Amino acid sequence: MGMTTGSAGRPLPLVGRGEASWITTKLDYVVNWARRNSLWPMPFGTACCAIEMMAAAASRFDFARFGMERMAFSPRQADLLICAGRVTYKMAPVLRRIWDQMPQPKWAISMGACASSGGVFDVYSMVQGIDTIIPVDVYVPGCPPRPEGLIYGVLLLHEKIKGESVFDRELHRQLRAEDPEAVGKPNLPDEVIQQITGPFGNSTQQNRVSGLVSTGALARPGDRLS
Amino acid sequence: MKTKTVEYLVTRNPELGMDGRPVRVPVLPPGVEPELRGEHMLINIGPQHPATHGVLRLVLELDGETVVRCIPHIGYLHSSFEKLGEYRGWNQIIPLTDRMDYLAPLIYNCAFAMAVEKLMGIEVTERCKVVRVICMELDRIFSHLLWLGTFAMDVGAFTVFLWAFQERERIYRLHERYTGARITTSATRIGGMLADLPPGWTEELQHFIDTFPNTLDQIEALLTNNQIWIGRLRDVGVIGPEEAVNYGLTGPNLRASGVPYDVRKDRPYYDYETYDFDIPVGEHGDCYDRYLVRMEEMRQSLRILQQALDRLPDGPINVDDPRVILPRKTDVMTDMESMIHHFKLVMEGIRVPPGESWFSVESSKGELGMYVVSDGGSKPVRWRVRGPSFVNLSALPRLVEGHMLSDVIAINASLDIVLGEIDR
Amino acid sequence: MAMSKDFENAVEGLAQGAAGAEAAAAGPQRGPEADAASHPSVPRLRARFGDAILHHEVVAGDEHVVYVRPERILEILGWLRDDPEERYDFLKDLTAVDYGGGRPLQVVYQLWSIPYRRGLRLKAELPLDALEIDSATRLWHTANWLEREVYDMFGIRFRGHPDLRRILMPENYAEGHPLRKDFPLRGRFSRAEQTRRALSVDLDDIYFPEELEVGGIRYRPTGSGSAGEGPGAAEGGAA
Repeated sequence: MGMTTGSAGRPLPLVGRGEASWITTKLDYVVNWARRNSLWPMPFGTACCAIEMMAAAASRFDFARFGMERMAFSPRQADLLICAGRVTYKMAPVLRRIWDQMPQPKWAISMGACASSGGVFDVYSMVQGIDTIIPVDVYVPGCPPRPEGLIYGVLLLHEKIKGESVFDRELHRQLRAEDPEAVGKPNLPDEVIQQITGPFGNSTQQNRVSGLVSTGALARPGDRLS
Repeated sequence: MKTKTVEYLVTRNPELGMDGRPVRVPVLPPGVEPELRGEHMLINIGPQHPATHGVLRLVLELDGETVVRCIPHIGYLHSSFEKLGEYRGWNQIIPLTDRMDYLAPLIYNCAFAMAVEKLMGIEVTERCKVVRVICMELDRIFSHLLWLGTFAMDVGAFTVFLWAFQERERIYRLHERYTGARITTSATRIGGMLADLPPGWTEELQHFIDTFPNTLDQIEALLTNNQIWIGRLRDVGVIGPEEAVNYGLTGPNLRASGVPYDVRKDRPYYDYETYDFDIPVGEHGDCYDRYLVRMEEMRQSLRILQQALDRLPDGPINVDDPRVILPRKTDVMTDMESMIHHFKLVMEGIRVPPGESWFSVESSKGELGMYVVSDGGSKPVRWRVRGPSFVNLSALPRLVEGHMLSDVIAINASLDIVLGEIDR
Repeated sequence: MAMSKDFENAVEGLAQGAAGAEAAAAGPQRGPEADAASHPSVPRLRARFGDAILHHEVVAGDEHVVYVRPERILEILGWLRDDPEERYDFLKDLTAVDYGGGRPLQVVYQLWSIPYRRGLRLKAELPLDALEIDSATRLWHTANWLEREVYDMFGIRFRGHPDLRRILMPENYAEGHPLRKDFPLRGRFSRAEQTRRALSVDLDDIYFPEELEVGGIRYRPTGSGSAGEGPGAAEGGAA
C-alpha cells in the first residue's frame, strides 16, 4: 500500500484533517457518482425546446439511461433545472424563484439559443440569456438542439460534477454556498448585463421598419443601446 | 355530405343537470348558520406547471373543489413575433413562423407563404400545391399526436404518451429528410418551397401512411371505450354550438360542439374541394367529443395524404417568377444579369406591392389567419397572426365553471393550446 | 450586352416595388371604390347607415374592406351580427394597424358568416389623439381578449370593455405600447433596467392566494357560498 499523489505531486495522506486525502477523494468520487447518475431534472420548458426535451425523455432518446426519467416538477425535489425555451421578462421572476427554491446541490442547463442568449429574439420582452438571472452550468446551443445535443449537454454536466468535491471545504464553499441576500436578484451586475446583451451582428442593421420609414440608425437612436 | 354516425355506448352521469353541467349543491344544508359556510379559496396554477401545456397561469376561485371562477393569465411567452416581423424581410419571416406553433410548423410556414402569395397575386405550381397539402396534413397528424400524448398523460395514461412520441419520431425523420430540421422546418419560400422532395421521401411517407393506422387502433383500444377515460371526459367542459361560435372557438373544439365549420370545406384552398375526405362533427361539445373528433381527424388526414401522394405531379416546385425566385445558381455564376438579379433579391429582399391580405388555413388547433399589410417595401407594415389557441383559450373560463379542479386540467388539455401562438 | 426579357421584367418588378414605396410614403393609398354590388352586404350597409360607411374596396383579388366611422361601429357590428340576411356570427379577428408617421390607427374587424359563407372586413380609423372606440364584447365574447391585446399593443381604449388591462405584457409594464411604430424594437429601457424591473415584481402578491389582484382590484375571497359576487363586491365578507 503506497501513498497516492495529489494534484501538486505531494503524496496524499490516507486520512487527513481538513485536507485532501485518499479517503476524501474516494468519498468524493462516490458522492459525485451518485449525484450525476441520478440527476432529477426540473423541466422548465417554455417553448419549442421543451418539445425536444420531451422527445429526449421519450423512448427513442431516453433520458432514463442517465437516471433522469423522474422529472421533478416540484423544485424542492429537483437537482437540475433545464431551462428549455425562451424566457420573457414576465417569466423571469418565476424562473428566479424556482431556482431559489431548489435546494443545493443544484445545477442549471440552458437549453437552446433563446435561453442561452436570447436567440432570434432581440426584442423588448425577451431575456437575453438566462445567465443574467440564474447561474448556468452548461449551455446547449441549437434552435432547438437535437435531443442528442441535450444529452451531450447532460454528459458535459456529468464531467463537471466529476470535478466537484464535498470534502474539500474551499471548493465546496465556492460551488455550493448561496447568499441569502441574492434571493430574487439578478445573477449578474448591471454593467455585465449591458455588456453581454448589447445588440450585435445583423440585428444592428435592422433598424428600418418597412419601406415607409426608411431611416438609418442615427435617426432612430433608440433602437441601439450603445 | 354523407355523414357516418358511430355509436359509442356510454353511461350518463345522473348527477349532471340537463345542460350537462354539475348541479350545484349548497355546501351545507339549509338552516345551518351562515358563519359555518366555507370561504372561497383562490389557488394559482402555473405558470410553471407540468399540465398547463406551456407557460400559462390559471387563477381559480374554488368553492370546496368546484370552480367558481377561472382567470387565465398569459403573456409569459410573448416573443413579439409581430413586431419582429416588421423588421424582417418577407422570406426572413418564415423561420419566425416555425417558432409560433412549434407543434405544426409546416402549417404556419405554408399559411404565411400563402398569404403573401395571395397579396402578390402569385399562383404556385401544381407540384408545390400538392407538396404543401402533404406538409400541412402531415403536420396536422404531428400536432394531434402530441395533443394525444399530453392529453392522455394529463388524464393519467402515460403509455399513450410514449407511443405517440414514437410515431412522432417517424414524422421528425420525414421533416428532417426534407427540410433539414426536426421542428423548426422553415420549409416554404414565397413562391415555392426551399427545395424539392428528396428521393425516397415519398416512399417513406407511404410507409408511414400504411403503418400508422395500427398505432391509432392500439391507442383507441386503450382509451376510447375505457370507462375511466369516459368517466373523466364525458360531459366535462360542455359548450353548445351558438356559444362556441360566439366565443370564437374553431377547429376540433367547434366541430365537437356540432358546428360543421372547417376552412378546408368552407373556403377551400389548394384544391381541397377535389380531395375526398370527411370532417368529423361531434354532438355534445364535451371533452370526450373533442377527443373523438381529433382521433377521426387523424384518420381523415391519412386519407388526404394518400390521395395527395397519388396525385403528386411532376414539374417544377418553384414558380417561375423573377420577382420572388432566385435565378439558378449556374446562371448566377456565369451570367451578369442573373448575378445582379440574385444580388438584388438577396440584399434588398422581395418587394411586395402595396396592399393587404388575409388568408385562413385550417390548422390543427383551429382557424389560423395570417393578415399581412404591405406598403411596397421589403418588410411588412403589419403582420398579424390570428392564432386559434388564443381565442380557444379565452373560452376556458366559461368551460370550467362549475367543474371540479381535476376537470380543469382535462378541459385545458382538450382545448389543445400551444402557448407559442397564444403569446406570439 | 443585350438584356434579356426576363431580366428586364425582374428589374422592372423590383423597381416597381421601390416606386410603390415612394408613392406609399404619402400615405396608405386606399384602392379605388369598388362596385358596391360585388358584395351582398355592402349595398344594404350603405342603405341603412348612409354616411357612416366611408369607403368600400376590394383587396388581394377577392377581399372586401369597408371603412366605417368609429362612432357608429357598435351599431354597424350589431346589425351585421343580428340581421337575418347578414348573420355575421363569427368574429374571426379584431386587430389594429399602425402605419407610422402620425397617421391614424386602423382598428380592423374580420367577420365571417357561417350560414352564408361570406366574409367582410371592417376598418375604423382613429386619430392618434383620440384612441377610443366602443367595445364589441357585448356582441361577441371573442372580442374580450382580442380587444385586450389591441389595448396592450397599441394603446387603444375600448369603451365598455369589462376588463381592459394588459394581457401579454406584465401588468406593471411602463415602456409603452409595443406595436406602435414609435416604439423601438428593443424597448425603451436598457436591458439592465428591464431585468431589474422584471425581478423586482413582488411574487408574494401573486403567489399568496389570500389577497390576489384580479382585474386590477384588490380582491379577497367572499364569505358566502354563492358565486355571484364579482370583484366589485369584495369589501364585504370576512377579511
